[in-house]
Amino acid sequence: MASHIAAVGLRKSYWKGPNEVPVLRGVDLEAERGEMVAVVGASGSGKSTLLHILGLLDAPDAGTVLVDSQRIDNRPERHRDSMRNHLFGFIFQFYHLLPELTALENVMMPSLIRHGAWSYWKERRRIRHEAAELMQRVGLGHRLDHCPTELSGGEMQRTAIARALAGRPSILLADEPTGNLDAASGQGVLDLLRDLNRERELTMMLVTHDPHIAQQADRVVRLAEGRIEEWVPALL
Amino acid sequence: MYKYLLCWRYLRTRYIALASVISVMLGVATMIVVNSVMAGFSDKMRDRLHGVLADLVVESASFDGFDNFEEVMARVQEAGGDDVLAMAPTMETPGILKYRVGSGSMTRPVQIIGVRAAERARTGDFAEFLFDEKGEKVEPSFQVPERLKEISPAGARLKEIEGEPEDAFKRALQEQLEIQRRQQVPDQGAIIGYALGTWHPGKGQPDVYLAHLGTKISLAFPTSGKKPEAGFDEFTVVGFFKSGMSEYDSTHVYVPLEKLQKTRLLLGPDGKGAVNQIQIKVRPGTNLDRLADRLQPALDRLHPMFFKVWTWEQKQGPLLGAVAIEQSILNILLFMIIAVAGFGILAIFSMIVVEKTRDIGVMKALGASTSGIRGIFLGYGLLLGAVGSGVGMIGGLLFVRYINEIEKILSVVIGRKVFDDSIYYFDMIPTLVEPHTLIAIVIGALFIAVLASVWPAQRAARLHPVKALRFE
Repeated sequence: MASHIAAVGLRKSYWKGPNEVPVLRGVDLEAERGEMVAVVGASGSGKSTLLHILGLLDAPDAGTVLVDSQRIDNRPERHRDSMRNHLFGFIFQFYHLLPELTALENVMMPSLIRHGAWSYWKERRRIRHEAAELMQRVGLGHRLDHCPTELSGGEMQRTAIARALAGRPSILLADEPTGNLDAASGQGVLDLLRDLNRERELTMMLVTHDPHIAQQADRVVRLAEGRIEEWVPALL
Repeated sequence: MYKYLLCWRYLRTRYIALASVISVMLGVATMIVVNSVMAGFSDKMRDRLHGVLADLVVESASFDGFDNFEEVMARVQEAGGDDVLAMAPTMETPGILKYRVGSGSMTRPVQIIGVRAAERARTGDFAEFLFDEKGEKVEPSFQVPERLKEISPAGARLKEIEGEPEDAFKRALQEQLEIQRRQQVPDQGAIIGYALGTWHPGKGQPDVYLAHLGTKISLAFPTSGKKPEAGFDEFTVVGFFKSGMSEYDSTHVYVPLEKLQKTRLLLGPDGKGAVNQIQIKVRPGTNLDRLADRLQPALDRLHPMFFKVWTWEQKQGPLLGAVAIEQSILNILLFMIIAVAGFGILAIFSMIVVEKTRDIGVMKALGASTSGIRGIFLGYGLLLGAVGSGVGMIGGLLFVRYINEIEKILSVVIGRKVFDDSIYYFDMIPTLVEPHTLIAIVIGALFIAVLASVWPAQRAARLHPVKALRFE
């Protein structure tokens, strides 16, 4: 089966003064459509950098990123912006909800970015309805008009998940989505992600340093010394 | 769409940014108030300047003027056609005014203007500026009224003996008293500038009349003899010229044209006198510059005399120019207030960009473009400018609308008159709101607000999404 998203020979270094610090030293990784892949590794192993490059937030020094066998990392900035909006959904460890907006408006944000004023005005009811449905789906139908500061950690992450899904992406990139939650909330968020993965056939790249969470993915890979060191079957 | 939403939310939630809104608001309001008051003063001043001078003035190069003024006027009428409504010959000369005040005397340098009062009144607002001591209007005439003649000691005595039986003694006395009366109250009247006949004590005190209707004044001026010699004549004050322009009210003395021509030795053997100006009133709506250009060649053909046709604005060029420069400089200085507000916006925006760094990263992760992020902050700046200038405009217009009421309250609070009407001769503070000035101020404020947002917006737009997301 052809991979949905693939990284081929990704290399990335950072510079600390005159010293080059290699983070990725030739990463090859792929995920099939609907597959949930967990990337584990120690802190500083380059997990987040890999996720950022896959999600076109950062550019590799070398190597390519392919989606449906098409290279996407060398596209012009405007296309990459559009792909981040249409193709990818991002979930961050610290939720990163915009504090000026309500939970519902946060969820609507990908659609607001996609639409100009006029096209939003024409489709405002549909956009609002879909965002509200997503909030319903993550169990926060009663929190639509609440500000992020009025939500608990788990609720904020659920809102962030709803926001990640609002652009109808086919690939979800989650960076330590449970890292800032207690065990019960974390498990709840993970269950939600797993359900969405199955329901919507979403391809998921899940970065975590917690093996227990990683085990719930279809496949687990370990990133160490800037390379994918070993493939670990899930549920070991 | 997200740009508008975030601009709006930032405006509502970032209270620190309201500081820059207030700065813009105050700047705009101040500029509107100052410009409106200055435009009001300027407008009144132009009205008065125009009232003192006719629309066009034909002036001879020679100070002694020209005696063929009827020919000149005929040429003007011919060249100007229906556009020329009225003309008045005038002789203007510098001189010295002197009159008695109690046991002393008052001496002032003046501009003596010989006119035919009724004709002069037809060429401008001359008649509108003539008052008596009570502030009531007087006719444009140099005739000395009988009641003024009677207030002199000799005049009063003449009145007394009017009813006595006619005999040789009475006739001799009457002749003698008539001579004395003429010395005390000359038969020729003069209209003197209000400030020449009054004393302004200030501090809200009313002006004191030093010269009254009926006061005899003496005028000295250069005659047109071969050598520069002084001519001398006496007149009776029959009115005060109060245009509201201190430059004129403190120098102008109007006397009968023919009398001045005679005393200045400008009356020819044929009885024709010389004038050095012709005041022309033109049809309303006529382009003065074009008409002046039409008249000039017609008068150029009257060589060897040299004439210059001026519009009233050209005659007052230095004064009007000075006011315009004053207004421009004031506007530049006041615009600095808005520029300072601009720096406030720049500082506050820079702070907000730092505060919002991670949010900018999130928006980029969600697909926001570089131009979109830039647009948020430029839009925010524009919104701050729009709110500030909008509120400032309303505040400024309200202030202008109620400026006299505000002046009264301020006068009560500080215990002295803020606007002394005796200085400006205006009952109220004159204001004029010019739409183009209003638009220029508001657009200027918006421009400054947007300009101040460019650098922070550019900084926000150029933030690397990963660095922004990792920002602590």
